[in-house]
Amino acid sequence: MPVTLVNPLNEAVAQAQIPAPRLVRLQGKIALLDISKPGGNVFLDRIEHLLKERYGVTEVIREMKPTFAKPAPPGVIEKIRGANAVIEALAD
Amino acid sequence: MASLRLVAILQTDCPTCRLITPYLNALAAGGARVTGISQDDEKATSEFVSQMDVRFNVDGDPEYQLSRRLGVVTVPALYLLDEQDRIVRQESGFAKSALNDIAVVLDLPPVATPHDGAPAFKPGCSSRHLERATEDAAAPALNLHSPRGTEASLVEAGDDEDPFEYCFRAFKDSLPVIPPTPERVARMLDAIQRDGRELIGRIPPCYGEATVEKIAANAVMAGCVPRMMRVLIPLVRAVADERFNAHGVQATTHFAAPLIIVNGPVRKELHFNCGQNVFSNAARANSTLGRALQLILLNLGGARPNGIDMSALGNPGKFSYCIAENEEESPWQPLHVEMGLSAPQSAVTLFAAEAPHGVSEHAARTARGVLKAISYALATVWSYRACLGYEAIVVLGPEHVRTIHRDGFSKKDVAEFLFENTGVPLRCYDGEPGEGVAQRAMYKEIRIDGEPCYQKFRAPEFIKLVVAGGTAGKFSAVLGSWAAGPRGSQLVTYPI
Repeated sequence: MPVTLVNPLNEAVAQAQIPAPRLVRLQGKIALLDISKPGGNVFLDRIEHLLKERYGVTEVIREMKPTFAKPAPPGVIEKIRGANAVIEALAD
Repeated sequence: MASLRLVAILQTDCPTCRLITPYLNALAAGGARVTGISQDDEKATSEFVSQMDVRFNVDGDPEYQLSRRLGVVTVPALYLLDEQDRIVRQESGFAKSALNDIAVVLDLPPVATPHDGAPAFKPGCSSRHLERATEDAAAPALNLHSPRGTEASLVEAGDDEDPFEYCFRAFKDSLPVIPPTPERVARMLDAIQRDGRELIGRIPPCYGEATVEKIAANAVMAGCVPRMMRVLIPLVRAVADERFNAHGVQATTHFAAPLIIVNGPVRKELHFNCGQNVFSNAARANSTLGRALQLILLNLGGARPNGIDMSALGNPGKFSYCIAENEEESPWQPLHVEMGLSAPQSAVTLFAAEAPHGVSEHAARTARGVLKAISYALATVWSYRACLGYEAIVVLGPEHVRTIHRDGFSKKDVAEFLFENTGVPLRCYDGEPGEGVAQRAMYKEIRIDGEPCYQKFRAPEFIKLVVAGGTAGKFSAVLGSWAAGPRGSQLVTYPI
């Protein structure tokens, strides 16, 4: 006799998201997101400098999560929405 | 585009359908052709239309024919249809971004702004045609306080497969579990007398539905007695509480694991251990409740080790981490009373804790001597030079409590003494740069025994005291936190 069991797992099916198309070149609006980990600003300051100087990027948006410990609030997401690319500083 | 029309499949008692209705009204007011399809009877539908001030036509869906044809799984379900009734776009649940995208397609301005008081996203309810027919008649017409989740499916182990081995393979836990047969789950449900599909919470970070039935299945696997269900229901509410922030606790690279602290009469009723070996495997109640919470977090929350759970070193508490307060050995108010509940009320408290750090102090004969030993352990919580961002639980052993109490210390005196005497000497900051050094401008300078120090904690309230353990042996323990406060994880207490 096969044993029947009550499924103890989350049965919701995650919806697959298609990744945004990869950029061919750096242009237009680029967002830099700091998640509030120490040193994130140091890393992103340098990235911003390189984007502008070496790649001629003119529009850089700087945004910061209030805490690394929680998901980004909708206001932060709204501000970086529409950027051609987002570079996120994740670690210490 | 004017040729498109929007069809919204709704239920009258679904909170998410109620949430989305004003936005559908806004689309209709802007000129969109919106049609509502109610899965409920005419009476419930007309009440819904009147209560929610619905500004678009709402038709019925006899026998759920349309819902079945469209393959609706969750309501609200939105379908953008072209002139030939072909589906151009479909959405389920509530998402501000999806509503605004639909508005753009319909040549309308956005209808959902970020700070209008509604969440960015809220999952919906199961479509009526997927519910058991027998439940429809008995279900209350409108009970927003009792949302229901999806019924658990049944799975079958193969004819030749040992059920325990099947559980290893199918449920992917590293320890054996008791197979959650329908009979065992039914015994759990009998003990709690609640609808198995009642939704108690959604478990971060994947927000799986913790229905009573799913909680029961995991409780079976952990080896809980059926009566433990009455503790598990408030425990699941606590772990899903946004203040506790299980989303972060479960995904962090840090050591944190949810520590359960049980208070009140339920300790005796269900035989929780609050004495010797309180952190160990001494009692079925502690071991299985802690294990059940971990299984719920893994199986419904989805933070599996080395998947979403990114803890660098982990925590032995992730097998099971549950203590009870030894209220009988404490001359002070127990934790749940400090948290605002009455003494005869049973309660569970959750704290995102590191592993216990033992403090052995057998030679001190005064409260001051014992507390000084504890303060040196407290000073190293998180990292020795990091101050202010953390909190701690001090588990005081009964022998230490007797010494401290004999010297006339109240519980408040103890917390204040530890607060005033826990600091990091300024000389520690002279050497190499490191954790906590860059923030020193924010720290408060105090003197401890004449030495200039930075104060470790923000306030005495950031040091919580719990009495637990056996009556022989002069030991206490310090448990550091994860990131504390509203920007990290906050201690939560729920009545049982």
